[in-house]
Amino acid sequence: MTTVHNGEPGAVTTTASRPRRTHPLLAFLAKRLAITAGLLLGVTVVTFGLVNVVPGDPVTANLSDQALNDPATVAAFREKWGLDQPLWQQYLHYLGNLFRGDLGISQQTGRAVLDDLVRYVPATMELAIPTMVLALLIGTGVGMLAAVRNGRLTDQFVRVGALLGLSTPPFWLSLVVLYVFFYQLGLAPSGGRLSTGFSPPPTVTGMYTVDAALAGQWDVAWDAAQHLTLPVLVLTSLTVALLVRFVRSAMLEVLQQDYIRAAYAKGLPTRVVLRRHLLRAGLVPVVTVSGLAFASLLSGTVLVESIFGWPGVGQYAYRSATALDLPSILGVSLFVALVYTLVNLTVDLLYGLIDPRIRLS
Amino acid sequence: MSVSPRRLRAGALALAALAIISTTACTAGGSGGNANGGAATTLTVNTSFVLKTLDPGRVYEATGLTAVHALYDTLLTFEGSDVGTPVPALAESYETSADAKTFTFKLRSGVTFSDGSPLTADDVVFSLNRLKNIKGSPAVTVSELSVSKTDDSTVVVTSATPNPNVPVVLAMPSTGVLNAKVAQDNGAKDGEDAAQGDTAQQYLDTNSIGSGPYVLKSYEPESQVVLEANPNYWGDKPQFERVVLRNMDVQTQKLTMQRAESAEISLDISGKLLDGLPASLQTSGVQDTVYFLFLNADPAVSAVTSNPKFNQALRAAIDYQGIAALYGEGAAPGAGLVAPAFPGTLPESEASTRDVAKAKALLAEAGLTNPTVTFNYPAITYKGVDLGTVATKVQGDAAEAGITLELNPQPLTTFLDEMRGGKSPLGFTPQSLNYPVADSLINNMAPGQATALRSGWTVERAEPAIVAAGEKVTETLDLAARATAMQEWQRLMNQSSPYIVLASNSSTVVATADLTGADYSAAGWQVDVAAVGRK
Repeated sequence: MTTVHNGEPGAVTTTASRPRRTHPLLAFLAKRLAITAGLLLGVTVVTFGLVNVVPGDPVTANLSDQALNDPATVAAFREKWGLDQPLWQQYLHYLGNLFRGDLGISQQTGRAVLDDLVRYVPATMELAIPTMVLALLIGTGVGMLAAVRNGRLTDQFVRVGALLGLSTPPFWLSLVVLYVFFYQLGLAPSGGRLSTGFSPPPTVTGMYTVDAALAGQWDVAWDAAQHLTLPVLVLTSLTVALLVRFVRSAMLEVLQQDYIRAAYAKGLPTRVVLRRHLLRAGLVPVVTVSGLAFASLLSGTVLVESIFGWPGVGQYAYRSATALDLPSILGVSLFVALVYTLVNLTVDLLYGLIDPRIRLS
Repeated sequence: MSVSPRRLRAGALALAALAIISTTACTAGGSGGNANGGAATTLTVNTSFVLKTLDPGRVYEATGLTAVHALYDTLLTFEGSDVGTPVPALAESYETSADAKTFTFKLRSGVTFSDGSPLTADDVVFSLNRLKNIKGSPAVTVSELSVSKTDDSTVVVTSATPNPNVPVVLAMPSTGVLNAKVAQDNGAKDGEDAAQGDTAQQYLDTNSIGSGPYVLKSYEPESQVVLEANPNYWGDKPQFERVVLRNMDVQTQKLTMQRAESAEISLDISGKLLDGLPASLQTSGVQDTVYFLFLNADPAVSAVTSNPKFNQALRAAIDYQGIAALYGEGAAPGAGLVAPAFPGTLPESEASTRDVAKAKALLAEAGLTNPTVTFNYPAITYKGVDLGTVATKVQGDAAEAGITLELNPQPLTTFLDEMRGGKSPLGFTPQSLNYPVADSLINNMAPGQATALRSGWTVERAEPAIVAAGEKVTETLDLAARATAMQEWQRLMNQSSPYIVLASNSSTVVATADLTGADYSAAGWQVDVAAVGRK
C-alpha cells in the first residue's frame, strides 16, 4: 500500500499498489552476494593488518644477507614494492587495483598473483575432487553401516578406525604411505604431477588427467593418474575418518524417529527404509560437514602437498607466508574466503533439495 | 527385495575396496616416479626447491643457481669441485693488472646464443651493467665494478678498489651473459634507473636467452624446471638431452634414491640422512657451511654477552666434537669462520676444544654467577640438521659450566629481523658463502662492518690487532698470501670476536652408480648438470 497526494490541500488518496515480488532464490542470492563482498573486503583489511603486525620485514625475507647490508639495494626493493609508503596508502593502492581485478605482483615469483592462482588452483582441485568423491562414497556407506549396527562389533570397529584416522597426523600418514606403496611395493610414484620424461598436456582445465585425456595423450593421462594415487589416498583416509563420525551420529538420530519405526512397522523393506527415509533425512548435517571438508581441501593441504611435491595452493600459501609476500598472501586469503563462501552457498542450496521442509521455511 | 544390514555391510566393504582398487591397483607396474617416455636421455635432479627466479640478474637461491649455470655462460667458470682456480668459459683468456684493479678479457670467437645470433662484447657489457644496476640480491658482488669494451671481442672490467677476486666473481651464475637485444626487447634495462625500470624478470623466468649448454623448456617454480640441450651450443654437447630439476621433500628424496636405478641425482641428502643409503650410490660432498654462535657485544643489549670473559667462558664450555657428531658424515668441529671448502680455511688440527674447568674459572673472573641469556635460533632444518637439536646440545654444554641458556626458537624471518636489528643477545645460525671467496667475511664480519654491527661489534669494541689483521687481508693482492692472512685473521677472531664457530658441515650430491661428473661444487650451482654423463 502507498499513500499519495493528489495536489489539493488536505486531499489524500490511498491506492493499492501491485506488490513487487522478488523470487525468493534471487533475493537469497543477492543477499549472499552482498555478504560475500563485505566478507572479502573484511578479509583484505584483516590480512593486510595481520601481515604488517606480525614480526618480520619482507625485505629480510626476500633479499640475501649480503644484499641486506647494502642500503641502496634495500631502498630499491622497498621502492619497487611500495614498502616505502605509509601503510594506509599501501592498502588503498591495493584496494584500487583489486577493484580493477588486479591482485598485484608476487614478490616471490615475479608473476601476477592471479596468474599464480590460475596455475596452482587446478592442481589442488585435481586432488580435492577425487578425494571428495571417494570420501563421500566410503564415508556415507561405512557411517550408515555403523549406525545400523549400533553397539555391535562392526560399529566399534568403525568408531575406532575413525578415531585413529582423525588422530593421525597427515605428514606421518603421507610418509608411511610413501614408504609402503612407493618404497616397499613400488606400486606408485613418489611425488610430483608427472614423471620426468613427460611434458604437461596443453592447458585447458589445468588438471593434467583431464587435459591429457582431452588432448588424446593417454600415456600422459595414465601417468598423471598414477601420480594422484598416493596423495589422494592420504587425503581420502583423513576425510573419510571425519565424515564417518558425522554420518553415523546423524543416522543414529534419524533411526530414533517415529516415522522410521512406523516405516518398519508397515513392513517396508529395509532397503527402502534406509534409502528413502534414513539416508535422505540424515544427509543434511553430512552435507554441511562435507562442504567444509571440501572447502578445506580446496584451500590447500600444505603438508601433504609438500611431501608429495604437489604444486598446489597449499604450497603456494606456505611459501608466500614464509616470504611475507603480501600480495600473494592477500590473493590466497581472498581465494580461500571465496571458496568457503561458494561452498557454503552450495550447501545451503543443497539443503533445500535434500529436505523440502527447509525449502519451505 | 529387502536389504539386510549384512548386505549393507558387504556393500560398504565392496565400495571401500573398489575405491582402494581404483586408486592403487591402477598403478601396478609403476616404477617409482621415473617411468617415462624418453627417460634414457633424461637426467633427473631431485631437490627441495629454493627458487624464486631464473633471471641471472636476480638469482641467488640454490635451485635457481643450478639452473642458471646451465642456461647462461659466464666469462669464467669452475670445473668439478674445484673453486680455487677459475677457468676460461666465454673468455678464452684474461689478464690482471698489477694493482688488481683492471681485468681484460678476450672473448672466445664463434660463440652464439641459443637462437643462433653471435655473442659479442656488447652483450657482456649490457649483462654486467644490468646486474649491477637492477640492484637485486646478487648486485652487491659487482657494486664496485665497472665494465666497458675495447672492441667486439675484448671486455675490460675495472674495480674501484684492488680486488684480486674479480675473476671469481665473474664465474658466478648471476654474471651470466644475456642476449642484449632480446633482453631489451622484453623490458631489460642496464642504466642507472634499471632498479625501477627493468621489467624483464617475468620473461626471463620462462625464456632463456643465453649461450649455455641448455635452454629452458619449462619453469614451474613449485614443481619442476625442465632444461633441454641447446642445439647451438658452442662447446661440447652435454650427454643428457633433457634435465629435470624436480621439487622433492628431503625425506622423499632419500626414499627415491634408494629405489633409483639410473640417471638420478639428489642434492639435499647430507649428514645423518646419508646413513642407510645403498652402497651402490655415489656421493660427492664438500664442507662448505659453518655454524656459529654470535654474542652481542653491546652492553645495552646484554651486560652478560658483552662481557669478554663470558665470551671466552662460553667458548671453553662447548663440546665441539659432540656437536660435529650431531651433523653426521662430512662434519667437523669448528676451526674458523672460513669453511674447509674455501681458500684460507684453518686446518682441522686447530679446531676449538672443550675445557669446562677453564669455563668456570673465566665465569668467576667475570664476576658472573649463574648467568642467564636468551638464546635465539631459527626453528628450521638446514642441510639435514635440525638447528633445535644443536641448540639444545649447546644449552646442555653451557649448563655444565654454570651458564643458563634459555632456548628461543623463532620463525626464520623473525630471527633474521631480530638479528638484523641488533637485538639478539645470543644467536645461532648457519653460514654459506654467496661466492667462493672468503673475503666477503672480512667485508661483513670484521669489526664495524654491517654484520658485525648487528652484534654490536664496533671498531672501538674490538681488539686493534683484529682490525689490523682484517685490513692486511684486503691489502694483500697475492692470492696465496691472502689466504695465509685470512688464517691469521681467523685465529685472532677465535680469541675475542663475538663469533664462536661450532662446526662445519658438508653439502652432498648423491647420484646413481651409472653417472659420471656428479661432483658437488661450492661455487653456488651445487652440480654442473652439463658435466654429468654416463659411464
